[in-house]
Amino acid sequence: MVLELKNITKNFGGISALTDVSFQINEGEIFGLIGPNGAGKTTLFNVITNMFSPTSGEISFLGEKISGLKPHKITDKGICRTFQNIRLFSQMSVLENVLVGGHCRSKSGVIKSVLRTKSQRKEETNSHDVALELLELVGLSKFQDSIAENLAYGQQRRLEIARALASNPKLLLLDEPAAGMNETETESLFDLIKKVQKRGVTVLLIEHDMPFVMKLCDRITVLNFGKKLAEGTPAEIQNNQEVIEAYLGAEEDDEIA
Amino acid sequence: MLLEQIINGITLGSIYAIVALGFTLVFGVLGIINMAHGEIFMIGAFIGVLITSVLGLPLWIAFIAAIGVTVILGYMLERIALRPLRGKQGVSHLAPLISTIGVSILLENLSHHIFGAGNHPFRHSFAQIQFQIGSITVYLVQILIFVISITLMVVLSYWLSKTKAGKALRATAENLETASLLGVNTKRTITTTVILASALGGIAGILVGMAFNSVNPQMGLSMGLKGLAIIILGGMGNVKGAMAGGLLLGLAETMIVAYGDSGYRDAVAFITIIFILLLRPQGIFGKNTAEAGR
Amino acid sequence: MLGDIINPYHLQIVSFILINIILGISIYITLSSGQLSLGNAGFMGIGAYTSALLTINFDLPIFLGIILGAVVAGVFGILIGIPALRLSGVYLAIATLGFGEVIRVIFVNWDSITQGSIGLSGIPHLGRELFKTFKLTGFDPDMLGLKNNQFIYLLVVLILLLVNILLVWFFIRQNKSRVGRAFAAIKMDEKAAESMGINITYYKVLSFTQGAILAGFAGALYAHVMAYISPADFAYHRAIDILIFSIFGGSELIWGAIFGATFMTILPEALRFISDYRYMIYGVILIAMMAFRPQGIIDVSLLKWFKRKLKLKRRGSLGIGTKKYN
Repeated sequence: MVLELKNITKNFGGISALTDVSFQINEGEIFGLIGPNGAGKTTLFNVITNMFSPTSGEISFLGEKISGLKPHKITDKGICRTFQNIRLFSQMSVLENVLVGGHCRSKSGVIKSVLRTKSQRKEETNSHDVALELLELVGLSKFQDSIAENLAYGQQRRLEIARALASNPKLLLLDEPAAGMNETETESLFDLIKKVQKRGVTVLLIEHDMPFVMKLCDRITVLNFGKKLAEGTPAEIQNNQEVIEAYLGAEEDDEIA
Repeated sequence: MLLEQIINGITLGSIYAIVALGFTLVFGVLGIINMAHGEIFMIGAFIGVLITSVLGLPLWIAFIAAIGVTVILGYMLERIALRPLRGKQGVSHLAPLISTIGVSILLENLSHHIFGAGNHPFRHSFAQIQFQIGSITVYLVQILIFVISITLMVVLSYWLSKTKAGKALRATAENLETASLLGVNTKRTITTTVILASALGGIAGILVGMAFNSVNPQMGLSMGLKGLAIIILGGMGNVKGAMAGGLLLGLAETMIVAYGDSGYRDAVAFITIIFILLLRPQGIFGKNTAEAGR
Repeated sequence: MLGDIINPYHLQIVSFILINIILGISIYITLSSGQLSLGNAGFMGIGAYTSALLTINFDLPIFLGIILGAVVAGVFGILIGIPALRLSGVYLAIATLGFGEVIRVIFVNWDSITQGSIGLSGIPHLGRELFKTFKLTGFDPDMLGLKNNQFIYLLVVLILLLVNILLVWFFIRQNKSRVGRAFAAIKMDEKAAESMGINITYYKVLSFTQGAILAGFAGALYAHVMAYISPADFAYHRAIDILIFSIFGGSELIWGAIFGATFMTILPEALRFISDYRYMIYGVILIAMMAFRPQGIIDVSLLKWFKRKLKLKRRGSLGIGTKKYN
């Protein structure tokens, strides 16, 4: 078991964003998190990475309790994420973005960096190799020197994935990776996530593109109004009466909005 | 003796509160520290000197003139130093801070050139009128300052909570985007806020001139720093906190002068800043949230 | 011949430029992690007073005094930085501004040690002390055709130049490393940087403390170059001077701070009539820079353009250039 959430509740003031959410993710899985807008999916990501600490409940990662750790420590333990609204270091080059992702997998401090000791140079070469390999994986090799903000939207999403992978995570959290992508881009994203899974990385993803989720995920949890509505394989979820109702209701809301 | 010091402290504190209100309004609505606020206050004080001491006109004209000039300054500050930075891509959150620092040193040195570096007396007809209540001496000026300050605070609180423009201001402070979606003219609200804050600074300038009978170009900086100390003390963007913080700082400074070392009077404010940041970063009256100050 | 070219007044200005460059780097390095410090004048004062008092009262060698000055400033940097940096950048700006004022008030009021607003005089002069050492070895500046005075100022400039080169080398290397990338990441997006495993508090305190150490170091050098300091040297206006170096010159690159410090030191000297209106002009510069060129005069794209130009020229002079360059 990679990640275990036990009775997670998160309140903002008097409003409850998550109520008593529990689930487990097994090693090597692609786990989907779906639900209508405002169901608390991104909040759950923020709770897992401890951007917000949960009001109650416990999170374990690889059998170790991680709730209460600082966000950078959690990345260090092996959980890394992407953001729904793309948060690249926009003025840096593509390569530098991925190098920053490798920050917690290297150690050289000020003195070593200035003196360029042997171990520091080795570490830098190694980080560069890893970064280049990851850019190859996401298909951005030829853009390595471009400034991140000049990339196309879909490329930026892929760069975020490469940056997160640079921290060598055991669990990768993807927040709506397919949002704003066209059909071809979505297809190659599908292949990319499969490749990531083959590298031994467990994936937890939030996504609204239902055919994509159903095709990609091994198991799915559905959230609605901060509560877990259902959990199961794609086939089980598709036939779950409660889920269908929640979605039909929500989709009507979407059209109004 | 102690009672007299307390009266002195409250007089000083109520002026500080007016200065801090100007800071806190701008911070609340725009989320920026207006580093030029102290200098706008200083200009207000000089207008008072010009009207009363140089032209020999009555005090109420000084108030009107100071408000007039600081309102224009506030408008110019918003148009020249703040609006060009708003909504621009890739502008650091430090940009408005730096640009208002620019306005502050421009104003300080401008008045340095016009008025010279020294102290200017602030003459008005009733400076020496005093009352003897038992063993305590109270000056008419002190009562006047206190009454004006309290009136301003009451009017401002009423305006913020009851009038349409005041509610628009609070809505904008809460969330600019939402307020604009709900039909608040945020551009106008922001301009109103900066102008209102500047006018408060101008009034405070005259009050300080009355209280200390001396005005100089450097006073803007030290008052500006004190205003900042107060809004950190009272919680950034918190109107009631600014009032209470102002009174507290006024009392603390008066006590230091009366019973301690007067040379350290100006340090009280900054030692307060540093302690508050260490112990209670959201301010004494700020809400206790993890997101405070983020 | 050397003696005819060297003018002590010009050398004095060059040494001011070199000290100001260190101050410019001190604010640049703090800005490089997205933090604004308005207290660098205070840290400069701490460095200056520490070194001056130690060398006057305890006969400490100058170089030791300067190092201790920088260290003490750094300790204060950590003490101020840790609480303020847990909060947003605005708090740091206010806290450092307040800190600078507290330091100045202490210098003015603690007269038993600091001589109050009169200031400290008779601080050992960097050049003269070194000159004494040189004399002991039997060296005479006349051998270079220099007067004693010229030689002393030349020594100061050479030492400061060496220090500057070392510092620029240090920070360029730091910038191109994991540490520099962490600073830049925090400047661009704090939350994203934290999510990528960067300990933002550590790096913010690190860059702020580096700035404090540099300011203290520059202050100590200033004390031993001027041989006289007073609290007014480290007031708010000094903080504005330092801020201008980086904001005008450019806050993205170390070259910006260097250019800004150089330009802003020469300007009032070259154009005397300006020096009366100096701070008014500074005010206008700050406002205009924020509105029209917030990154400062020298930015990455200007540097790239310059490098390209340079490359073309070099090729041109080798005869491989295109017709345009012949």
